[in-house]
Amino acid sequence: MDTSQLLKGVLDMAVLAVLRKDDGYGYDVVRRLRAGGLNDVGDASVYGTLRRLYNAGMLTSYVVPSEEGPHRKYYSINETGRVRLAESRETWRSFASTLDGLLEEVAA
Amino acid sequence: MNTQALGIEHYLAGMRAALDDLPPNEVAEIMEDVEAHVAELSTELRENETIEQRLGPPEQYAQELRQAAGYPPRTERLPVTTKKQLLTRPRVAAWGLVIATGVTLLAGAASLKEPAILLVPAVVLVLSLALVHERGAAQQEIMNLPETHRLQKWLSPEAGTPADRAITYLRSLQPAWWLVRAALLGLGAVLLAGRDILGFLVIAAIAVVSVFAGPRAKVDRRWLWFSLPASALAVGLLFQMIDVTANQLGYNSSRQSYQAPIVETYQNIYAYDENGKLLTNVLLYDQDGNPINAPQQYYGCRGSDPQPMIPANRYPRPKIDYENGTCYTVAPSEDAPSSTQSTPSSSSGSATSSSVPPTSVSPSK
Repeated sequence: MDTSQLLKGVLDMAVLAVLRKDDGYGYDVVRRLRAGGLNDVGDASVYGTLRRLYNAGMLTSYVVPSEEGPHRKYYSINETGRVRLAESRETWRSFASTLDGLLEEVAA
Repeated sequence: MNTQALGIEHYLAGMRAALDDLPPNEVAEIMEDVEAHVAELSTELRENETIEQRLGPPEQYAQELRQAAGYPPRTERLPVTTKKQLLTRPRVAAWGLVIATGVTLLAGAASLKEPAILLVPAVVLVLSLALVHERGAAQQEIMNLPETHRLQKWLSPEAGTPADRAITYLRSLQPAWWLVRAALLGLGAVLLAGRDILGFLVIAAIAVVSVFAGPRAKVDRRWLWFSLPASALAVGLLFQMIDVTANQLGYNSSRQSYQAPIVETYQNIYAYDENGKLLTNVLLYDQDGNPINAPQQYYGCRGSDPQPMIPANRYPRPKIDYENGTCYTVAPSEDAPSSTQSTPSSSSGSATSSSVPPTSVSPSK
């Protein structure tokens, strides 16, 4: 199964999750997601997701100057984002276990 | 390397074109992310690999980003925006900043006399910043203007040349300049404190904020609308302070120097005509018609005949000999406070000579 379709629904949660501990700029987030096993994640999708979460008030951003090249814009999760992450986690857990149950029945 | 840099510019231009139906401030935010992304990716590219091979065509990148960000699908570009506009908001804002900085430099040199003059550049700055404030911290549109490119090229000569070394050295002095700037502004504020409390507060506030504005402008170019004029004001104030000091040292005594209307205490005033002749019975008034009175109390002269009250602003005042109760007008060589104060000067426009018959020139008794 093509995981990119599945990814669309949960990318928000994944991005919030990798920003939970440390702030990160766009490409940082892409790398963390890939390091976490989401190899198929598209750069542009991550950047778009960051913008959406930011516009929804779950992330804040600040710019850090760089000696060479353009400034880097770091994103950090705020309280709203943490609440959303906790909710998504609950939803995901129950959804995954429901689906696991269905799949068990199929296998049986 | 050069072709790669060109490739990046081309890619980013394609991105901007594919996003140009979105609100400008949102495009600016996206492009801030994307520029850093593309720049970092380009360092990871293998030889002969292009950005497009890595990320796909810019239109596709933009499309994927729009979807993930939840923006509406691409709408048709309005025909108006395809026309090359000469007077774009970023251009007007950039020139507003340049002009306001220049005006501040000139106005700064006069600001101790007339601090209100600073309102002129302040208005220009506020208006020009308002034009582009929502376009993001990087102000990429201004950075992309041809005139900005020319300035950047001029400011970054080839590595290793003396000009390059000079600019690198000057850059390293920047933090020191921020402190010097704050000190100059603070000094300017203090010099104003006695005469213009509002001017003092404004310039003192600029001095305080300027300390933070320097480093902030490195991150958020919108702070340049504060930082550049603050520098211009500091330099203008410096010029003025040098000018004032030079005047006070007497290098330029013919010019009206900046000085609060005489604050030293003096006991008497001697007016001379252009031939160097001592004028007597000169009545002095200020611009409102109030008599200018030397601080020393004036009791008049005792005499045997009833004396008309001698106006306190009539100069030179007679010297009073208390023992005998007589009044004399004494030549300044004898009791003028200092030689610099007694030099003849014809610049005082408020002196009106008196036609009242002398009552105090000769001994009154």
